[in-house]
Amino acid sequence: MVRYIGKRFVISLITIWILATLTFFLIRLLPGDPFTSEKITPEIKANMMKYYGLDKPLPVQYATYMGNLLKGDMGYSLRYKNREVNNIIADAFPASADLGLRSLVFSVILGLILGIVAALNHNKFWDYACMVIAVIGVSVPSFVVGSLIQYLFGIKWKLLPVAQWKSFAHTIMPTFALGLGTLALIARLMRTSMLEVVGQDYIKTAKAKGLSPAQVTIKHQIRNAILPVVTVLGPLVASLLTGTFVIEQIFAIPGLGRHYVVSIQNLDYTMVMGLTIFFGAFLVLMNFLVDIAYGLVDPRIRVGK
Amino acid sequence: MKRSLTLVLVMLLALSLVLTACGPKASQEPGTSTGDETTSQGPKVLRFAIGSEPPALDQQIATDTYAIMLGNHLYEGLVRVQDGKVVPGMAESWEISEDGLTYTFHLRDAKWSDGQPVKAQDFEYAIKRLLNPATASEYAFQGYYIENGEAYNKNKITDPDQVGIKALDDKTLEIKLAVPTKYFLALTNFISLFPVRQDFVEAQGTAYAAEADKILYNGPFIMTEWKHEESLTLEKNPNYWNKDAIKIDRVEIAIVTDSNTAMGMYEAGDLDFVGLPAARVQEFVDNGQAKFYYDGSEFYFQFNVKGRNPEVGKFIGNANFRKAFAYAIDRQNYVDAVLKNGSDPATRYVLPLLSGVNDLFANEYPLEFYPKNADPAKAKEYLDKALAEIGTTIDKVPAIEYLTDDSDSARISAEAIQDMIAKNLGIKLEVKQVPFKQRLELMNKGEYDLVFAGWGPDYDDPMTYLDL
Repeated sequence: MVRYIGKRFVISLITIWILATLTFFLIRLLPGDPFTSEKITPEIKANMMKYYGLDKPLPVQYATYMGNLLKGDMGYSLRYKNREVNNIIADAFPASADLGLRSLVFSVILGLILGIVAALNHNKFWDYACMVIAVIGVSVPSFVVGSLIQYLFGIKWKLLPVAQWKSFAHTIMPTFALGLGTLALIARLMRTSMLEVVGQDYIKTAKAKGLSPAQVTIKHQIRNAILPVVTVLGPLVASLLTGTFVIEQIFAIPGLGRHYVVSIQNLDYTMVMGLTIFFGAFLVLMNFLVDIAYGLVDPRIRVGK
Repeated sequence: MKRSLTLVLVMLLALSLVLTACGPKASQEPGTSTGDETTSQGPKVLRFAIGSEPPALDQQIATDTYAIMLGNHLYEGLVRVQDGKVVPGMAESWEISEDGLTYTFHLRDAKWSDGQPVKAQDFEYAIKRLLNPATASEYAFQGYYIENGEAYNKNKITDPDQVGIKALDDKTLEIKLAVPTKYFLALTNFISLFPVRQDFVEAQGTAYAAEADKILYNGPFIMTEWKHEESLTLEKNPNYWNKDAIKIDRVEIAIVTDSNTAMGMYEAGDLDFVGLPAARVQEFVDNGQAKFYYDGSEFYFQFNVKGRNPEVGKFIGNANFRKAFAYAIDRQNYVDAVLKNGSDPATRYVLPLLSGVNDLFANEYPLEFYPKNADPAKAKEYLDKALAEIGTTIDKVPAIEYLTDDSDSARISAEAIQDMIAKNLGIKLEVKQVPFKQRLELMNKGEYDLVFAGWGPDYDDPMTYLDL
């Protein structure tokens, strides 16, 4: 196990290094530079380039960046002057993670319940009811859901705050809007998986052993059916927790989502790098945790044995 | 400053003058009392939203609209400009030498938010900081009016003491200009020239002005909270010299990117005023709740007289050809049918609301250069003249590239313009949409034929448009 983790750790580091390197050079291929503006003169631009070390040859910049990165320093944003990329991410990540975690809990719990209920009532009313919810969840984009519930609950009926991130009431609509799609995905996945498992020999064996239907379902069917859900959970956690542009924009949530878009528009090199590395590392970590979780759920693929 | 003399001459075609629509608090709405009515008890709070986080509030670094707006409330320069008139700010009085080159300011007894006095040295330090190449200020050119300011910023001299600004004593500041500049006095109301205190800035280092408590304030308000990307809270500055004139106790500013979200917050009673999204303007005009004000933004065509290539340049380089374009555009129609936000058609490049020498610029130079509506006959006339001068026919006119931003609204604009030019001139415009930064890059390199550009004024003088 330790060897496995060690190996995975090294691979993860290499992955992130490749990611960082590619992004470093690719972002600089975009036309324009961070300081292009209507009134800027070549001399002033040169002062700014010098200040941020962008006047040096690219390999030197790369070496400097990587050296600083090893020390955990991602430099200053080229747009949010005087603010470090580390601080910007540290400021914005909690709101995104908070929202993501709420959506995750909401969508995983409800999604599993819907999926299980649907599978146990295969081709009956509850199956169709659950799957109608799932289809709606998958096919209606989150920004439509977000805008709609914002209008109904916030503006028309004034039941919930329209936007911003302040109290529990503020979190309800964004959590729902962000989680609905995931909920639907998990419900469908769980249902399919449950139905596949039900025909397996070990279920027959369990039944033949004389276990109660509840025991069969909980101990054997659900436990085996949940594997595909665990698989998608890794990337899902990473994408939910690290911010979403649309929902954060609609509900004016001060999260990371906006930065992904704005940093590229502004050619804020350091910010783009910081976000890419942060997101990349998070994704790698989540996938790693999922691999470990596999073993806990399914002894057959327990690693290192 | 000297950019307009780059390799391409630009011919400008003012297109539209934007009005920002603004809905006042709906007073007839029952049950939405928000505690900010002008009652005698309780603090008076004003709540509104801005569209993005100000990237910097550092006086010498800030460049964006919101920072400039905030700066006018948090800081104060030598003077203030109110309704086009210069009134005393940190300076109580001033004298200007007869040759118009030497300004002597006498500062009033004013305090920083930590209680220490605002001194002439704070202005001297600030302006030298602005011009110091190591500060890397994008707006350093606002200090080029000062003697040797440009040379210092461009590394031609290295001794900051040669820059024409000097604190004669704590209360007296002398500024020497490079050339007489009538609008310099008003320009001291611009954020780049606002004072900062050396010991404080140096103690904060690169983190100066990155957080609310890393700034010293000398304006009517102090910022008590800055939640990045979320909100800013301003409170009345008890140390401000003119605090009795400040009627509002607290200002709560939400950062809301989506204009529809801000609109929703306004409708739910969370904001006291809001910029109307274009789709809602008519509704609010109809029910009498919209108020309009000029924000000074204007949009215009910029021609590259050399064109992307000599073939196109042959046409665009012809003045009559460009005039044909000017008369083919229906500005009124454009603001009514495309912008639909209450904008006025612009009939001139320097907007009429700016100050002139002694009066409004519009009164000193009454000029309606372009008609509000298209004049197809005149457009054709100029086109024929141009074609005769070039010695060609209309079917030989190459496709002209129309460069614009990559937003949806830019695309809709482009299609409207394309249509007008095709209909009134029979010339094909090829629309090229690129991201903002790339558009500027292409403009700087002269790789365009015709570009749709815009600008908002930094200060109240035609120069803010003319030095583009």
